[in-house]
Amino acid sequence: MSWLVIARQEAWLTATARSVRLLAGLLVLVCAVGAYVFPVFDPGPHTTAHFGGYVSGWLGTLVPLIGLVVGYNAVVGERRSGALALSLSLPHGRRDVVFGKLLGRLAPVVAAIVAGALIAGALVVYPFGELALAPFLAFVGATITLGVVYTALGVAISTFVATKTRATVAAFGVYVLVVVWTELEAAIELALASIGSPGEGVPTAVEVLLALEPTTAYDRIVAGAIDPAGSVGDAWYLDEWVALALLVLWATVPLAIAYRRFAGVDLQ
Amino acid sequence: MAAIEATELSKRYGTLIALDRVDLTVEEGEIFGFLGPNGAGKSTFINALLDFVKPTHGSVSVFGQDCQADSVRAREHLGVLPEGYSVYDRLTGRQHLEYAIRSKGADEDPVDVLERVGIREAGDRKASEYSKGMAQRLVLGMALVGEPDLLLLDEPTTGLDPNGAAEIREILREENERGATIFFSSHILEQVQAVCDRVAILQDGSVVAVDTIQGLREALGGGTKLVVTVDRTEPSILESIRGLEGVETAWLDEDGETVEITCRNDAKMDVLVAFHDAGVDVVNFRTEEASLEDMFVEYTGRR
Repeated sequence: MSWLVIARQEAWLTATARSVRLLAGLLVLVCAVGAYVFPVFDPGPHTTAHFGGYVSGWLGTLVPLIGLVVGYNAVVGERRSGALALSLSLPHGRRDVVFGKLLGRLAPVVAAIVAGALIAGALVVYPFGELALAPFLAFVGATITLGVVYTALGVAISTFVATKTRATVAAFGVYVLVVVWTELEAAIELALASIGSPGEGVPTAVEVLLALEPTTAYDRIVAGAIDPAGSVGDAWYLDEWVALALLVLWATVPLAIAYRRFAGVDLQ
Repeated sequence: MAAIEATELSKRYGTLIALDRVDLTVEEGEIFGFLGPNGAGKSTFINALLDFVKPTHGSVSVFGQDCQADSVRAREHLGVLPEGYSVYDRLTGRQHLEYAIRSKGADEDPVDVLERVGIREAGDRKASEYSKGMAQRLVLGMALVGEPDLLLLDEPTTGLDPNGAAEIREILREENERGATIFFSSHILEQVQAVCDRVAILQDGSVVAVDTIQGLREALGGGTKLVVTVDRTEPSILESIRGLEGVETAWLDEDGETVEITCRNDAKMDVLVAFHDAGVDVVNFRTEEASLEDMFVEYTGRR
Protein backbone atom coordinates (compact mmCIF):
# COMPACT_ATOMS: atom_id res chain seq x y z
CA MET A 1 0.00 0.00 0.00
CA SER A 2 2.98 2.18 -0.68
CA TRP A 3 1.04 4.28 -3.22
CA LEU A 4 -1.57 5.07 -0.58
CA VAL A 5 1.04 6.75 1.64
CA ILE A 6 2.18 8.86 -1.30
CA ALA A 7 -1.39 9.60 -2.44
CA ARG A 8 -2.32 10.80 1.03
CA GLN A 9 0.62 13.18 1.28
CA GLU A 10 0.15 14.34 -2.32
CA ALA A 11 -3.56 15.06 -1.77
CA TRP A 12 -2.72 17.21 1.21
CA LEU A 13 0.05 19.07 -0.63
CA THR A 14 -2.14 19.63 -3.70
CA ALA A 15 -5.25 20.68 -1.82
CA THR A 16 -3.31 23.28 0.16
CA ALA A 17 -1.65 24.84 -2.89
CA ARG A 18 -3.01 28.29 -3.67
CA SER A 19 -3.19 27.83 -7.44
CA VAL A 20 -5.20 24.63 -7.06
CA ARG A 21 -7.60 26.25 -4.60
CA LEU A 22 -8.10 29.12 -7.01
CA LEU A 23 -8.89 26.82 -9.92
CA ALA A 24 -11.16 24.62 -7.81
CA GLY A 25 -12.99 27.73 -6.63
CA LEU A 26 -13.34 28.85 -10.23
CA LEU A 27 -14.85 25.49 -11.19
CA VAL A 28 -17.40 25.68 -8.38
CA LEU A 29 -18.19 29.26 -9.35
CA VAL A 30 -18.73 28.34 -13.01
CA CYS A 31 -21.06 25.50 -11.99
CA ALA A 32 -23.01 27.84 -9.73
CA VAL A 33 -23.25 30.64 -12.30
CA GLY A 34 -24.24 28.12 -14.99
CA ALA A 35 -27.02 26.76 -12.82
CA TYR A 36 -28.15 30.26 -11.85
CA VAL A 37 -28.52 31.54 -15.43
CA PHE A 38 -29.75 28.21 -16.85
CA PRO A 39 -33.46 28.85 -16.19
CA VAL A 40 -33.08 32.39 -17.49
CA PHE A 41 -31.42 31.72 -20.84
CA ASP A 42 -32.49 28.17 -21.64
CA PRO A 43 -36.02 27.50 -22.95
CA GLY A 44 -36.17 24.32 -20.88
CA PRO A 45 -37.12 21.83 -19.73
CA HIS A 46 -35.34 22.90 -16.55
CA THR A 47 -34.25 19.50 -15.32
CA THR A 48 -30.88 18.40 -13.96
CA ALA A 49 -30.68 16.08 -17.00
CA HIS A 50 -30.92 18.88 -19.56
CA PHE A 51 -28.64 21.08 -17.43
CA GLY A 52 -25.78 18.71 -18.28
CA GLY A 53 -26.10 19.57 -21.95
CA TYR A 54 -26.24 23.27 -21.06
CA VAL A 55 -22.95 23.44 -19.08
CA SER A 56 -20.93 20.71 -20.78
CA GLY A 57 -19.33 23.26 -23.13
CA TRP A 58 -18.13 25.38 -20.21
CA LEU A 59 -16.88 22.41 -18.27
CA GLY A 60 -15.26 21.00 -21.41
CA THR A 61 -13.06 24.11 -21.45
CA LEU A 62 -12.38 24.46 -17.74
CA VAL A 63 -11.91 20.86 -16.56
CA PRO A 64 -9.06 20.11 -19.03
CA LEU A 65 -7.30 23.28 -17.85
CA ILE A 66 -7.62 22.27 -14.20
CA GLY A 67 -6.54 18.69 -14.84
CA LEU A 68 -3.45 19.75 -16.80
CA VAL A 69 -2.44 22.44 -14.32
CA VAL A 70 -2.86 20.07 -11.37
CA GLY A 71 -0.96 17.28 -13.12
CA TYR A 72 1.86 18.70 -15.21
CA ASN A 73 4.30 19.40 -12.36
CA ALA A 74 3.55 16.32 -10.26
CA VAL A 75 6.65 14.27 -10.97
CA VAL A 76 9.06 16.51 -12.85
CA GLY A 77 8.85 19.26 -10.21
CA GLU A 78 10.10 16.96 -7.48
CA ARG A 79 12.54 15.27 -9.82
CA ARG A 80 14.16 18.64 -10.48
CA SER A 81 14.07 19.92 -6.90
CA GLY A 82 15.38 16.70 -5.38
CA ALA A 83 12.33 15.86 -3.26
CA LEU A 84 11.83 12.79 -5.45
CA ALA A 85 15.21 11.50 -4.25
CA LEU A 86 13.79 11.66 -0.73
CA SER A 87 10.66 9.69 -1.63
CA LEU A 88 12.55 7.11 -3.66
CA SER A 89 15.06 6.63 -0.84
CA LEU A 90 12.13 5.21 1.10
CA PRO A 91 10.82 1.80 0.05
CA HIS A 92 8.53 3.16 -2.69
CA GLY A 93 8.68 1.92 -6.28
CA ARG A 94 8.59 4.38 -9.15
CA ARG A 95 5.21 2.90 -10.03
CA ASP A 96 3.94 3.69 -6.51
CA VAL A 97 5.17 7.26 -6.90
CA VAL A 98 3.44 7.86 -10.25
CA PHE A 99 0.19 6.15 -9.26
CA GLY A 100 0.14 7.70 -5.79
CA LYS A 101 0.73 11.16 -7.20
CA LEU A 102 -2.05 10.74 -9.76
CA LEU A 103 -4.51 9.66 -7.09
CA GLY A 104 -3.42 12.36 -4.68
CA ARG A 105 -3.73 15.06 -7.30
CA LEU A 106 -7.09 13.73 -8.46
CA ALA A 107 -8.60 14.10 -4.99
CA PRO A 108 -9.01 17.91 -5.09
CA VAL A 109 -10.11 17.80 -8.75
CA VAL A 110 -12.86 15.30 -7.98
CA ALA A 111 -13.80 17.16 -4.80
CA ALA A 112 -14.21 20.41 -6.77
CA ILE A 113 -16.39 18.72 -9.42
CA VAL A 114 -18.58 17.10 -6.75
CA ALA A 115 -18.91 20.37 -4.83
CA GLY A 116 -19.76 22.26 -8.03
CA ALA A 117 -22.33 19.61 -8.97
CA LEU A 118 -23.99 19.68 -5.55
CA ILE A 119 -24.37 23.45 -5.64
CA ALA A 120 -25.44 23.49 -9.29
CA GLY A 121 -27.92 20.66 -8.73
CA ALA A 122 -29.52 22.51 -5.83
CA LEU A 123 -29.72 25.76 -7.82
CA VAL A 124 -31.33 24.03 -10.82
CA VAL A 125 -33.90 22.12 -8.77
CA TYR A 126 -34.84 25.01 -6.51
CA PRO A 127 -37.28 26.65 -6.92
CA PHE A 128 -38.76 25.80 -10.34
CA GLY A 129 -36.64 22.97 -11.74
CA GLU A 130 -36.94 19.27 -11.59
CA LEU A 131 -34.54 16.65 -10.29
CA ALA A 132 -33.67 13.81 -12.68
CA LEU A 133 -31.29 11.93 -10.41
CA ALA A 134 -29.93 9.13 -12.60
CA PRO A 135 -28.96 11.33 -15.60
CA PHE A 136 -27.50 13.93 -13.24
CA LEU A 137 -25.33 11.33 -11.50
CA ALA A 138 -24.25 10.08 -14.92
CA PHE A 139 -23.37 13.66 -15.84
CA VAL A 140 -21.27 14.09 -12.68
CA GLY A 141 -19.62 10.74 -13.42
CA ALA A 142 -18.80 11.78 -17.00
CA THR A 143 -17.35 15.09 -15.80
CA ILE A 144 -15.22 13.31 -13.19
CA THR A 145 -14.00 10.97 -15.93
CA LEU A 146 -13.03 14.01 -18.00
CA GLY A 147 -11.15 15.35 -14.97
CA VAL A 148 -9.37 12.00 -14.58
CA VAL A 149 -8.38 12.03 -18.27
CA TYR A 150 -6.73 15.45 -18.15
CA THR A 151 -5.13 15.02 -14.75
CA ALA A 152 -3.71 11.70 -15.99
CA LEU A 153 -2.51 13.44 -19.18
CA GLY A 154 -0.86 16.13 -17.06
CA VAL A 155 0.82 13.53 -14.83
CA ALA A 156 1.84 11.58 -17.96
CA ILE A 157 3.57 14.68 -19.34
CA SER A 158 5.20 15.23 -15.96
CA THR A 159 6.41 11.63 -15.84
CA PHE A 160 7.68 11.59 -19.41
CA VAL A 161 9.79 14.75 -19.58
CA ALA A 162 12.96 15.57 -17.68
CA THR A 163 12.62 19.35 -17.29
CA LYS A 164 9.94 21.66 -16.00
CA THR A 165 10.13 23.83 -19.10
CA ARG A 166 9.28 20.92 -21.36
CA ALA A 167 6.41 19.93 -19.07
CA THR A 168 5.03 23.47 -19.20
CA VAL A 169 5.30 23.67 -22.98
CA ALA A 170 3.73 20.24 -23.46
CA ALA A 171 0.82 20.94 -21.09
CA PHE A 172 0.18 24.30 -22.72
CA GLY A 173 0.32 22.68 -26.16
CA VAL A 174 -2.18 20.02 -25.16
CA TYR A 175 -4.55 22.66 -23.82
CA VAL A 176 -4.35 24.73 -26.98
CA LEU A 177 -5.15 21.58 -28.98
CA VAL A 178 -8.18 20.95 -26.76
CA VAL A 179 -9.51 24.44 -27.37
CA VAL A 180 -8.76 24.37 -31.10
CA TRP A 181 -10.02 20.82 -31.63
CA THR A 182 -13.58 21.48 -30.58
CA GLU A 183 -13.77 24.30 -33.14
CA LEU A 184 -12.04 22.33 -35.87
CA GLU A 185 -15.06 20.54 -37.30
CA ALA A 186 -16.98 23.75 -37.79
CA ALA A 187 -13.91 25.38 -39.32
CA ILE A 188 -13.42 22.50 -41.77
CA GLU A 189 -17.09 22.60 -42.79
CA LEU A 190 -16.78 26.32 -43.34
CA ALA A 191 -13.65 25.84 -45.42
CA LEU A 192 -15.28 23.13 -47.51
CA ALA A 193 -18.29 25.36 -48.13
CA SER A 194 -16.10 28.26 -49.21
CA ILE A 195 -14.28 26.17 -51.84
CA GLY A 196 -17.67 25.12 -53.19
CA SER A 197 -18.19 21.54 -52.11
CA PRO A 198 -21.07 21.83 -49.67
CA GLY A 199 -23.39 19.00 -48.80
CA GLU A 200 -20.65 16.42 -48.76
CA GLY A 201 -19.76 17.36 -45.18
CA VAL A 202 -16.50 16.49 -43.51
CA PRO A 203 -14.82 13.36 -44.91
CA THR A 204 -15.27 10.28 -42.70
CA ALA A 205 -11.59 9.85 -41.96
CA VAL A 206 -11.37 13.42 -40.69
CA GLU A 207 -14.56 13.00 -38.69
CA VAL A 208 -13.13 9.89 -36.98
CA LEU A 209 -9.94 11.77 -36.21
CA LEU A 210 -11.88 14.71 -34.76
CA ALA A 211 -13.97 12.32 -32.64
CA LEU A 212 -10.88 10.89 -30.93
CA GLU A 213 -10.25 13.95 -28.77
CA PRO A 214 -11.43 13.51 -25.16
CA THR A 215 -13.42 16.72 -24.79
CA THR A 216 -15.51 15.99 -27.89
CA ALA A 217 -15.96 12.44 -26.59
CA TYR A 218 -17.26 13.92 -23.33
CA ASP A 219 -19.65 16.14 -25.30
CA ARG A 220 -20.98 13.09 -27.13
CA ILE A 221 -21.55 11.21 -23.88
CA VAL A 222 -23.53 14.12 -22.49
CA ALA A 223 -25.49 14.65 -25.74
CA GLY A 224 -26.08 10.96 -26.40
CA ALA A 225 -26.79 9.50 -22.98
CA ILE A 226 -27.63 12.29 -20.55
CA ASP A 227 -29.27 15.33 -22.10
CA PRO A 228 -32.70 14.35 -23.52
CA ALA A 229 -32.49 17.34 -25.90
CA GLY A 230 -29.12 16.30 -27.26
CA SER A 231 -28.25 13.92 -30.06
CA VAL A 232 -25.19 12.42 -31.69
CA GLY A 233 -24.60 11.20 -35.23
CA ASP A 234 -25.57 7.71 -36.33
CA ALA A 235 -22.08 6.51 -37.23
CA TRP A 236 -20.77 3.83 -34.86
CA TYR A 237 -17.71 5.90 -33.97
CA LEU A 238 -19.96 8.66 -32.64
CA ASP A 239 -21.71 6.32 -30.22
CA GLU A 240 -21.57 7.40 -26.55
CA TRP A 241 -20.18 4.03 -25.42
CA VAL A 242 -17.35 4.34 -27.90
CA ALA A 243 -16.79 7.81 -26.47
CA LEU A 244 -16.60 6.39 -22.94
CA ALA A 245 -14.12 3.73 -24.08
CA LEU A 246 -12.04 6.50 -25.66
CA LEU A 247 -11.95 8.39 -22.36
CA VAL A 248 -10.76 5.27 -20.57
CA LEU A 249 -7.98 4.84 -23.14
CA TRP A 250 -6.94 8.49 -22.82
CA ALA A 251 -6.79 8.14 -19.04
CA THR A 252 -4.54 5.06 -19.14
CA VAL A 253 -2.47 4.70 -22.32
CA PRO A 254 -0.43 7.95 -22.26
CA LEU A 255 0.36 7.48 -18.57
CA ALA A 256 1.40 3.86 -19.16
CA ILE A 257 3.74 4.95 -21.96
CA ALA A 258 5.20 7.73 -19.82
CA TYR A 259 5.68 5.34 -16.91
CA ARG A 260 7.52 2.82 -19.08
CA ARG A 261 10.02 5.49 -20.00
CA PHE A 262 10.29 6.84 -16.45
CA ALA A 263 10.89 3.33 -15.06
CA GLY A 264 14.08 2.92 -17.07
CA VAL A 265 15.62 6.37 -16.87
CA ASP A 266 18.52 7.66 -14.74
CA LEU A 267 17.19 10.17 -12.24
CA GLN A 268 20.45 11.93 -11.42
CA MET B 1 25.46 -12.35 4.18
CA ALA B 2 27.16 -9.23 2.86
CA ALA B 3 25.45 -5.90 3.50
CA ILE B 4 26.60 -4.62 0.11
CA GLU B 5 27.96 -6.73 -2.71
CA ALA B 6 28.99 -5.02 -5.95
CA THR B 7 30.24 -7.06 -8.87
CA GLU B 8 31.90 -5.32 -11.80
CA LEU B 9 29.50 -2.41 -11.28
CA SER B 10 29.96 0.03 -14.14
CA LYS B 11 28.23 3.17 -15.30
CA ARG B 12 28.99 4.98 -18.50
CA TYR B 13 27.51 8.30 -19.59
CA GLY B 14 28.30 8.58 -23.28
CA THR B 15 32.08 8.54 -23.32
CA LEU B 16 32.44 9.36 -19.63
CA ILE B 17 33.02 6.34 -17.40
CA ALA B 18 31.63 7.21 -13.98
CA LEU B 19 32.15 3.75 -12.48
CA ASP B 20 34.60 1.24 -13.87
CA ARG B 21 34.02 -2.42 -12.88
CA VAL B 22 33.78 -1.76 -9.16
CA ASP B 23 33.97 -4.90 -7.01
CA LEU B 24 33.20 -4.15 -3.39
CA THR B 25 31.92 -6.16 -0.45
CA VAL B 26 30.78 -4.51 2.75
CA GLU B 27 30.22 -6.96 5.59
CA GLU B 28 27.32 -6.80 7.98
CA GLY B 29 28.07 -4.68 11.07
CA GLU B 30 30.91 -2.66 9.55
CA ILE B 31 31.32 1.07 9.51
CA PHE B 32 32.60 1.54 6.01
CA GLY B 33 33.98 4.77 4.62
CA PHE B 34 33.79 5.52 0.93
CA LEU B 35 36.44 8.01 0.17
CA GLY B 36 37.48 9.93 -2.89
CA PRO B 37 37.73 13.38 -4.39
CA ASN B 38 34.62 15.03 -5.81
CA GLY B 39 33.69 13.49 -9.12
CA ALA B 40 35.37 10.15 -8.38
CA GLY B 41 32.06 8.30 -8.69
CA LYS B 42 31.03 7.96 -5.03
CA SER B 43 27.52 9.31 -5.58
CA THR B 44 27.07 7.29 -8.77
CA PHE B 45 27.81 4.14 -6.75
CA ILE B 46 25.29 5.11 -4.06
CA ASN B 47 22.71 6.11 -6.68
CA ALA B 48 23.09 2.70 -8.32
CA LEU B 49 22.31 1.11 -4.95
CA LEU B 50 19.15 3.22 -4.80
CA ASP B 51 18.26 2.45 -8.44
CA PHE B 52 18.33 6.17 -9.24
CA VAL B 53 20.99 5.22 -11.76
CA LYS B 54 20.84 2.12 -13.95
CA PRO B 55 24.23 0.40 -14.24
CA THR B 56 25.48 -0.20 -17.77
CA HIS B 57 27.27 -3.36 -16.64
CA GLY B 58 27.58 -5.48 -13.51
CA SER B 59 25.30 -5.60 -10.51
CA VAL B 60 24.97 -4.56 -6.91
CA SER B 61 22.88 -6.09 -4.13
CA VAL B 62 21.94 -5.22 -0.58
CA PHE B 63 21.50 -8.15 1.83
CA GLY B 64 21.11 -10.40 -1.19
CA GLN B 65 18.42 -8.28 -2.89
CA ASP B 66 19.41 -7.01 -6.30
CA CYS B 67 19.25 -3.21 -6.24
CA GLN B 68 17.78 -2.99 -9.75
CA ALA B 69 15.53 -6.06 -10.10
CA ASP B 70 14.30 -5.94 -6.47
CA SER B 71 14.80 -2.27 -5.81
CA VAL B 72 11.97 -1.77 -3.33
CA ARG B 73 12.88 -4.84 -1.30
CA ALA B 74 16.52 -3.78 -1.29
CA ARG B 75 15.52 -0.33 -0.02
CA GLU B 76 13.43 -1.87 2.76
CA HIS B 77 16.79 -2.60 4.41
CA LEU B 78 18.06 0.94 4.01
CA GLY B 79 18.06 4.25 5.78
CA VAL B 80 19.29 6.79 3.27
CA LEU B 81 20.71 10.27 3.17
CA PRO B 82 20.86 10.76 -0.59
CA GLU B 83 22.86 13.20 -2.68
CA GLY B 84 21.12 16.27 -4.09
CA TYR B 85 17.90 15.83 -2.16
CA SER B 86 15.60 18.66 -1.23
CA VAL B 87 13.09 18.68 1.58
CA TYR B 88 9.39 19.29 0.98
CA ASP B 89 9.13 23.05 1.40
CA ARG B 90 5.55 23.01 2.56
CA LEU B 91 5.83 20.19 5.07
CA THR B 92 7.08 20.64 8.63
CA GLY B 93 9.96 18.61 10.03
CA ARG B 94 7.50 16.49 11.95
CA GLN B 95 5.45 15.83 8.80
CA HIS B 96 8.60 14.65 7.02
CA LEU B 97 9.21 12.12 9.76
CA GLU B 98 5.57 11.03 9.77
CA TYR B 99 5.92 10.43 6.03
CA ALA B 100 9.03 8.31 6.58
CA ILE B 101 7.37 6.40 9.45
CA ARG B 102 4.28 5.62 7.35
CA SER B 103 6.40 4.74 4.33
CA LYS B 104 8.49 2.24 6.30
CA GLY B 105 5.57 0.90 8.33
CA ALA B 106 7.43 1.87 11.51
CA ASP B 107 5.85 3.04 14.76
CA GLU B 108 8.28 5.56 16.19
CA ASP B 109 7.28 8.87 17.71
CA PRO B 110 8.42 11.67 15.37
CA VAL B 111 9.31 13.81 18.39
CA ASP B 112 11.83 11.22 19.62
CA VAL B 113 13.54 11.22 16.25
CA LEU B 114 13.59 15.04 16.11
CA GLU B 115 15.13 15.02 19.58
CA ARG B 116 17.76 12.51 18.55
CA VAL B 117 18.98 14.54 15.59
CA GLY B 118 18.83 17.76 17.58
CA ILE B 119 16.05 19.70 15.87
CA ARG B 120 13.18 19.11 18.25
CA GLU B 121 12.53 22.83 18.65
CA ALA B 122 12.12 23.25 14.88
CA GLY B 123 9.83 20.26 14.42
CA ASP B 124 6.68 22.25 13.78
CA ARG B 125 8.27 24.76 11.43
CA LYS B 126 8.09 24.44 7.67
CA ALA B 127 11.18 22.76 6.28
CA SER B 128 11.59 25.64 3.80
CA GLU B 129 12.82 27.71 6.76
CA TYR B 130 15.50 25.18 7.68
CA SER B 131 19.19 25.86 7.19
CA LYS B 132 21.22 23.38 5.16
CA GLY B 133 22.48 21.82 8.38
CA MET B 134 18.98 21.45 9.84
CA ALA B 135 17.69 19.89 6.63
CA GLN B 136 20.63 17.49 6.75
CA ARG B 137 19.69 16.52 10.32
CA LEU B 138 16.06 16.09 9.33
CA VAL B 139 16.87 13.76 6.46
CA LEU B 140 19.26 11.82 8.68
CA GLY B 141 16.32 11.47 11.07
CA MET B 142 14.19 10.11 8.22
CA ALA B 143 17.00 7.63 7.50
CA LEU B 144 17.07 6.46 11.12
CA VAL B 145 13.33 5.68 11.18
CA GLY B 146 12.51 1.99 11.38
CA GLU B 147 15.93 0.80 12.60
CA PRO B 148 17.34 0.08 9.11
CA ASP B 149 19.87 -2.74 8.63
CA LEU B 150 22.10 -0.47 6.57
CA LEU B 151 22.56 3.28 6.77
CA LEU B 152 23.62 4.64 3.41
CA LEU B 153 24.79 8.22 3.72
CA ASP B 154 26.11 10.43 0.94
CA GLU B 155 28.37 13.10 2.46
CA PRO B 156 26.45 13.15 5.76
CA THR B 157 28.30 16.03 7.38
CA THR B 158 27.88 18.54 4.55
CA GLY B 159 26.55 21.81 5.88
CA LEU B 160 27.32 20.99 9.50
CA ASP B 161 29.76 22.74 11.79
CA PRO B 162 32.43 20.61 13.52
CA ASN B 163 30.20 20.10 16.57
CA GLY B 164 27.34 19.00 14.37
CA ALA B 165 29.61 16.64 12.49
CA ALA B 166 30.76 15.13 15.80
CA GLU B 167 27.12 14.65 16.88
CA ILE B 168 26.39 12.84 13.64
CA ARG B 169 29.39 10.57 14.13
CA GLU B 170 28.13 9.78 17.62
CA ILE B 171 24.72 8.81 16.19
CA LEU B 172 26.44 6.61 13.62
CA ARG B 173 28.36 4.84 16.39
CA GLU B 174 25.14 4.27 18.34
CA GLU B 175 23.44 2.87 15.27
CA ASN B 176 26.40 0.59 14.65
CA GLU B 177 26.22 -0.68 18.23
CA ARG B 178 22.56 -1.47 17.67
CA GLY B 179 23.73 -3.73 14.84
CA ALA B 180 23.36 -1.52 11.78
CA THR B 181 25.92 -1.51 9.01
CA ILE B 182 27.05 2.00 8.11
CA PHE B 183 28.24 3.00 4.66
CA PHE B 184 29.06 6.61 4.07
CA SER B 185 30.90 8.61 1.50
CA SER B 186 33.05 11.61 2.15
CA HIS B 187 35.75 13.69 0.59
CA ILE B 188 36.72 14.88 4.06
CA LEU B 189 39.26 12.52 5.49
CA GLU B 190 39.00 13.24 9.19
CA GLN B 191 35.33 12.20 9.12
CA VAL B 192 36.23 8.80 7.81
CA GLN B 193 39.33 8.30 9.88
CA ALA B 194 37.43 9.03 13.08
CA VAL B 195 34.80 6.29 12.80
CA CYS B 196 35.49 3.77 10.07
CA ASP B 197 36.47 0.14 10.41
CA ARG B 198 37.40 -0.06 6.75
CA VAL B 199 37.63 2.35 3.87
CA ALA B 200 37.58 2.15 0.12
CA ILE B 201 39.32 4.82 -1.91
CA LEU B 202 37.72 5.64 -5.21
CA GLN B 203 39.56 7.44 -7.98
CA ASP B 204 38.17 8.15 -11.46
CA GLY B 205 35.48 5.51 -11.09
CA SER B 206 37.79 2.74 -9.90
CA VAL B 207 38.45 1.41 -6.43
CA VAL B 208 42.16 1.92 -5.89
CA ALA B 209 42.31 0.60 -2.33
CA VAL B 210 40.12 -1.22 0.18
CA ASP B 211 41.56 -1.80 3.61
CA THR B 212 41.47 -0.93 7.28
CA ILE B 213 43.07 2.36 8.26
CA GLN B 214 45.85 0.33 9.86
CA GLY B 215 46.23 -1.75 6.72
CA LEU B 216 46.52 1.34 4.57
CA ARG B 217 49.21 2.67 6.88
CA GLU B 218 51.18 -0.54 6.62
CA ALA B 219 50.79 -0.51 2.87
CA LEU B 220 52.53 2.83 3.03
CA GLY B 221 55.78 1.29 4.17
CA GLY B 222 55.35 1.73 7.90
CA GLY B 223 53.51 4.94 7.46
CA THR B 224 55.92 7.43 8.90
CA LYS B 225 55.58 11.03 7.94
CA LEU B 226 58.60 13.20 8.19
CA VAL B 227 57.99 16.95 8.41
CA VAL B 228 61.14 18.88 7.61
CA THR B 229 61.57 22.62 7.80
CA VAL B 230 64.24 23.83 5.40
CA ASP B 231 65.73 27.20 4.52
CA ARG B 232 65.17 26.76 0.80
CA THR B 233 64.11 24.12 -1.67
CA GLU B 234 63.89 23.39 -5.37
CA PRO B 235 61.79 20.97 -7.43
CA SER B 236 64.94 19.03 -8.31
CA ILE B 237 65.65 18.38 -4.63
CA LEU B 238 62.13 17.03 -4.10
CA GLU B 239 62.61 14.86 -7.15
CA SER B 240 65.80 13.34 -5.84
CA ILE B 241 64.17 12.67 -2.45
CA ARG B 242 61.23 10.95 -4.12
CA GLY B 243 63.79 8.78 -5.86
CA LEU B 244 65.25 7.50 -2.59
CA GLU B 245 64.76 3.90 -1.56
CA GLY B 246 61.81 3.62 0.87
CA VAL B 247 60.30 7.04 0.16
CA GLU B 248 56.69 7.09 -0.99
CA THR B 249 55.99 10.75 -1.56
CA ALA B 250 57.47 14.14 -0.89
CA TRP B 251 55.77 17.45 -1.30
CA LEU B 252 56.23 21.06 -0.38
CA ASP B 253 53.70 22.68 1.94
CA GLU B 254 51.97 25.90 1.04
CA ASP B 255 54.25 27.91 3.31
CA GLY B 256 57.14 27.10 0.96
CA GLU B 257 59.57 25.95 3.63
CA THR B 258 58.11 22.75 5.03
CA VAL B 259 58.58 19.52 3.15
CA GLU B 260 56.39 16.53 4.04
CA ILE B 261 57.70 13.09 3.23
CA THR B 262 55.99 9.75 3.76
CA CYS B 263 58.48 6.95 3.97
CA ARG B 264 59.51 3.74 5.67
CA ASN B 265 60.95 4.19 9.14
CA ASP B 266 64.46 3.20 8.10
CA ALA B 267 64.55 5.74 5.27
CA LYS B 268 64.26 8.81 7.51
CA MET B 269 67.98 9.26 7.93
CA ASP B 270 68.57 8.91 4.18
CA VAL B 271 66.11 11.75 3.59
CA LEU B 272 67.91 14.08 5.97
CA VAL B 273 71.24 13.14 4.44
CA ALA B 274 69.88 13.86 0.98
CA PHE B 275 68.87 17.38 2.05
CA HIS B 276 72.31 17.92 3.49
CA ASP B 277 74.00 16.66 0.31
CA ALA B 278 71.90 19.06 -1.75
CA GLY B 279 73.23 21.93 0.35
CA VAL B 280 69.92 22.61 2.07
CA ASP B 281 69.91 23.54 5.76
CA VAL B 282 67.45 21.52 7.78
CA VAL B 283 66.12 24.04 10.27
CA ASN B 284 63.88 21.60 12.11
CA PHE B 285 62.31 18.22 11.67
CA ARG B 286 59.78 15.94 13.35
CA THR B 287 58.10 12.63 12.58
CA GLU B 288 54.40 11.90 12.63
CA GLU B 289 52.24 8.87 12.15
CA ALA B 290 50.94 9.10 8.60
CA SER B 291 47.35 10.31 8.62
CA LEU B 292 44.71 9.17 6.25
CA GLU B 293 45.15 12.45 4.47
CA ASP B 294 48.68 11.49 3.51
CA MET B 295 47.47 8.12 2.30
CA PHE B 296 44.70 9.80 0.41
CA VAL B 297 47.18 12.05 -1.33
CA GLU B 298 49.32 9.02 -1.97
CA TYR B 299 46.50 7.03 -3.54
CA THR B 300 44.76 9.70 -5.51
CA GLY B 301 47.85 11.59 -6.57
CA ARG B 302 46.48 14.95 -5.47
CA ARG B 303 48.79 17.56 -4.13
